Formats: sequence, C-alpha cells, structure tokens
Amino acid sequence: MPTSRSSASGFWHSRRQRTRRATDITLTLLALGALLAFSAASRATDWQASLDTRLVGSDAQHSLMDGGPGTVRFGRHDEGLQLGRLRFALTQHFLELWSVHLDVSAWDDKGRSPAGVTEAYLQFRPYPRDGLRLRLRAGALYPTLSLENRAAGWESPYTLSFSAIDSWLAVELRTIGIEGQLDWLGRRLGHDFDLSATGGVFGWNENAGAELASAGFTFTDRQTPLFERLGRPGPAPAYSEQPFVEYDGHAGAYAGLEARYLDRVVLRVLRYDNHADPTAQDFVSNTIAWHTRFTSAGVRVELDDGWTAIAQWLGGETTIAPPGLQLDWPFRADFALLSKRFGRHTLSARYDRFTVRTNNEEIGAGSQDGHAWTAAYVFNASAHWRFTLEWLRVTSSSFNRAAAAGPPLLSETQVQLAIRYAIGSAVR
Amino acid sequence: MPVPSYESRGRSREDRSQGMRPPARARRRQARIRLAAGVLALLGVGGLAVPAGAATLVINVRAADGRPLPGAVVTIRPLDGMPHKVAPLHAIMDQVNRAFAPDLLVIPVGSTVQFPNSDVVSHQIYSFSPAKRFQLPLYRGTPYPPVHFDQAGVVTLGCNIHDEMLAYLVVTDAAYFGRTDHDGAFTVEVPHGRYNVGIWHPRLRDAETDLERELSVGDTDRADLTLRLAKSLEPEPLIDRPRSWDY
Repeated sequence: MPTSRSSASGFWHSRRQRTRRATDITLTLLALGALLAFSAASRATDWQASLDTRLVGSDAQHSLMDGGPGTVRFGRHDEGLQLGRLRFALTQHFLELWSVHLDVSAWDDKGRSPAGVTEAYLQFRPYPRDGLRLRLRAGALYPTLSLENRAAGWESPYTLSFSAIDSWLAVELRTIGIEGQLDWLGRRLGHDFDLSATGGVFGWNENAGAELASAGFTFTDRQTPLFERLGRPGPAPAYSEQPFVEYDGHAGAYAGLEARYLDRVVLRVLRYDNHADPTAQDFVSNTIAWHTRFTSAGVRVELDDGWTAIAQWLGGETTIAPPGLQLDWPFRADFALLSKRFGRHTLSARYDRFTVRTNNEEIGAGSQDGHAWTAAYVFNASAHWRFTLEWLRVTSSSFNRAAAAGPPLLSETQVQLAIRYAIGSAVR
Repeated sequence: MPVPSYESRGRSREDRSQGMRPPARARRRQARIRLAAGVLALLGVGGLAVPAGAATLVINVRAADGRPLPGAVVTIRPLDGMPHKVAPLHAIMDQVNRAFAPDLLVIPVGSTVQFPNSDVVSHQIYSFSPAKRFQLPLYRGTPYPPVHFDQAGVVTLGCNIHDEMLAYLVVTDAAYFGRTDHDGAFTVEVPHGRYNVGIWHPRLRDAETDLERELSVGDTDRADLTLRLAKSLEPEPLIDRPRSWDY
C-alpha cells in the first residue's frame, strides 16, 4: 500500500480501488456463501447473521474514521440512514473439545475493505475435572475485560454505543496471540462462588494507545477489523493508523482474575502491558511503537427483579520515546451503568468520565477531559428483531480540537434509532 | 400427580418462552417430558406394594423462615425389615432454550437417562460428581445413547459450552422418594416400621446430615413429620436473562 498519493495518479488509483473493492466484495460473499453452505450441512456448527441499520441524528464533528476530532461514531455529516453493522459469526466444533470461532463484520465504507474480521480464534476447552477447567484460545480475540459487552459479537445488551473504556478496546485493542484461562467451578462443588485466572501473550499491538494520545477517548460501537486502518486515508501518523502491527519483537502480556458469586455478582481485575519498545520505529508504516500498560477493575451486579449495575475503572499510561525525547500520556476512564429490564424492554443509563494527560505541556497533544451521559431503550421484540433508541451526549475539552481552531470545550449529541434483524442457529 | 418443578423455575421458563416459543417439535418433546416425569413420580412413589398395616406418612418441609418449601427432594429409608428395591427407570432430560428440562430428576439407582437436544445449538453436558462422572456432546439432531446411573448420590450437570446451564439428578437407593408439593408436603403410604427421612434441595445451605430424622410409624393411620431448615436457601437463579449473553 502506498503511503502517499499524488493527484496525477488519483484517477487510476480510484479506478483500481473500485475494481479491487468489487473483487473483495465478490470474494467475501463467496466465502460467506461457502461458510453458510458448510454450516447448514454440519450439525456441530453454530452460526449467526445479523443486519443492524441506524437512523442517525448528530451535531458532532467529523469522527475518528473521518480523521476528525469528533467524540462519537457518527458526525453531523453522517445524519440519516447508516449501516450499524452487518455481521456473520460461525462456531465450528470439531474433535469434540476443539472449536473455531469467526466473527466477520461490515460497518461502513470508511474502512479500506468492505468487510473485516473482528475476532477469529481456535479454542480448546476440555471438560472440567474435579471442578477445574482449562480454556485455551489462540488467534485474535478480546481479552476478558469488558463487563458490559457480554452479548454475541462483543456487543452490549444495554446500549448501542460502548462506554469510553470499551470503545477504546473496540478501536485499538485485540489479543493477537494466545490466552489461557483456568476456572475453578465452585458452584458445581457446592460453594456459592466460582473463580477464574486468565493470562495472555500477544503481539501485533504496537500502536495500541496511539489513538488515545491523538484523538482521546471516543464513543463508538465500531470494532476495528483485524489489520485494518483507522482514520482518513493518508500517510501515518497524521492520517490513517494501523493499530495491529508488530515490529519491535516484544510480546505483550496480560493477567486477570475473576470472581463470581452465584449468578449475581462478577468481579474482574486485569493488568495489561503491551511491552512495546517506545524507541522502536517502523519506517514502512511511518510509526513509532506505543508502550501501553493499564489496570482495569470492575464489578457487575444483577438482581432478580431485573436490575443490573456495572461499574468499571481503567487507568494506565502510554509512552513513546523518539530520539532525545520521552512523551507520556497517562489516561483514565470509568463509568457506572444502571439498567432495568421489564420483560422485553430494557432501560439503561450510563455515566462516563475520561481523562488523558501529557507530560509535555508545550506539545500537549492528546490531553483531554470529559464526561458523557448515555440513555438507551432496547425493545427485544423477538429473538430476531431488536429495536434500540439511544441518546448520547459527550462533553469534553480537547487540546487537539483547540489546536485545530475548534472550540476547546464542546458538547456533542448523537441520537440513534437502530433496527436489528438476526437469524441463525444460535438465534432463538 | 406431576412432579413439581424445581421452585418456580419451570414456570418462569414458560413465561420467558412466550414470544420465543420453541418449535412444535420441542413443545411436543416438552409435553413428553412432563408425561415422563409424571410416570416417574407415580412409579417412584407407588412402585412398592403396600402391605397390611400401612399408614400415610406426611413429610412437611419448611424453609428457615417457616414458609413451606416446594420442590425439596424427600428420601425415606426403612430401618428394619427387608430392604426395598425400587425398579430402575428410564427418564428423559431434554435441552430446551439453553436450559435443562426438567432441571431436577429423582431416579432410583440403576436408572438410565436420555439426554436429547431440542435446541438448534450444540451442547456438551458433563458431570464430575463422584456418583457419576461422564461427558456427552449433544449436537443437534443426533441421538445419543442413554446414560446409566448405578451409584447413589447427587449428580450435578453442566454444559461445557453454556456455563449458565445447571441441573441435578438425585440418584437414590431409598425405598420411597419424591418431591414436596406447593404446600411443602410429600405424602406416601408406608408399612408400619422405623424410617430414616432425608431432605435435599439444590439451593440448600444446611448440611444434609443435619436434616436427617428417624421416625417410627406405629399403629396410627397417619404419621406427620415437619422438618425446618436451619439456614436460608441460596437466592433463586436469575430468570428471564437473554440466553445469548455469553461473556
């Protein structure tokens, strides 16, 4: 992929891109067709397909995917009908204890390919023995961190837009490597609680944190497909950024603990460090490695009258060290979510706070302070149809927006009406 | 006399399935389960011939707060005379809407249980309980051989794919057994003699041995025993939670 485009070659470029896009779409459809045919034939296959369309109203600035400082997924020029997500997911069991999971999604035409893979992994999950169970996953997956994104496809059953924490994970974080989890199934041994320990080793995450330092926290449900780019087309780092790259040869790692009380309370703690070498530079993608580490802790409580409460905190720092310089961006985000289910209706409210600091006030790039309110109503009309109405207001001060002659303090509001239709063996 | 479902879970599951009704095949299968469960209860309770000199034994189970406890498993063992053997059964425990249906069965030692899968998703059921360790993959539409339970004890069942799935098989060598009704009572005809009465419930916090009682059924027509739990039960499992939540 060229890192610069001249206007003279623009025509040929776009024509070639159109041809390539058509080829990509054909290949994707063929692959999906083959997978569907395969899954229909196999009894050990679970599959799901869904189409989520949105009617959007927004007064926000250009979003991250348009290279702008907007804090929400859809800006004011995105108003109207939008594709929320077109998703196909497949779980194929084989040799009883093994399975392959594939999650393919199309979001919009802002990525560089019509569809992309958000998660793809091989899982080995033997049956429990004496209350202990191991789970090994290898491939590309989300670390066991989110407490709100518990639905299929790493979606939230409460809101359309993820919290600031989970939006960042969706945009820049993925475990591309292996993860092991050991469960102690206490409840099946007559106790009130279960315990789990998780650990992961991964690569291809050198640029995790770059968006926090440049755009800050945002609110989205768009999950960056593997090896896709973020932001407006153009040379990095000013424009597009590729979060999933590996060039410093250092493996990242995380470790987490989870405790569950009956089916009521989940507690999670996770420490993450991508161990990137902040001096390593990649002259192909024109980027420098971002050393990102953070700790997250959260709790989810569910009561039998339909109430759910979630609180999560994430704090850490990202660092780059170009020759003669060290730049640090400490960041922190937390949220509290309260949700009440009335049969097929769910009402949820969430309050987010987020901060990105920098140790270099002169450069100051990326420093951000803000909070957000989200209110959502979800109507699960049937197993196939889901309707969601969401209102989201983000108020933030941003150095980058001010530096680009924007208002230093700004409130952005996004309203979405989503209609989702899902089919598949896993949909009932 | 249908076997009361484990607390209100069975009823709640039916409520939940409104609007997401299982296909006709699954509904027919559910009806079959209810029938099988009913037959099972009849056999379990009435499988023995009642000799002359019998009495009606009523076991009342109360929760710690004094309220009747429905769905508790009651086992009654004669302490003298000939040991009674209850004929083994063939029972069915289905998988419907990512849940075991029913989620509690009481069966005599030597019984077999068939585990069909009425869901369109796969299940992998297992038990690591000492009374029976087994694992069984249940892919849709594929029949699997029944599992034989030849040792008394509580068998806790789970699904290796869906952790929220939980069920129990109480495999018993007791001569009389059953579950308390909505008034917390279990009634059975027994010959005169001495008996050991035991109680079990999936959400029990009391030690089972603390709830064992001995009683003599003498010359009267009727004997009553009221058992009250010392500790409160665990909270009921959450219901009405979308089954697709898997993180």
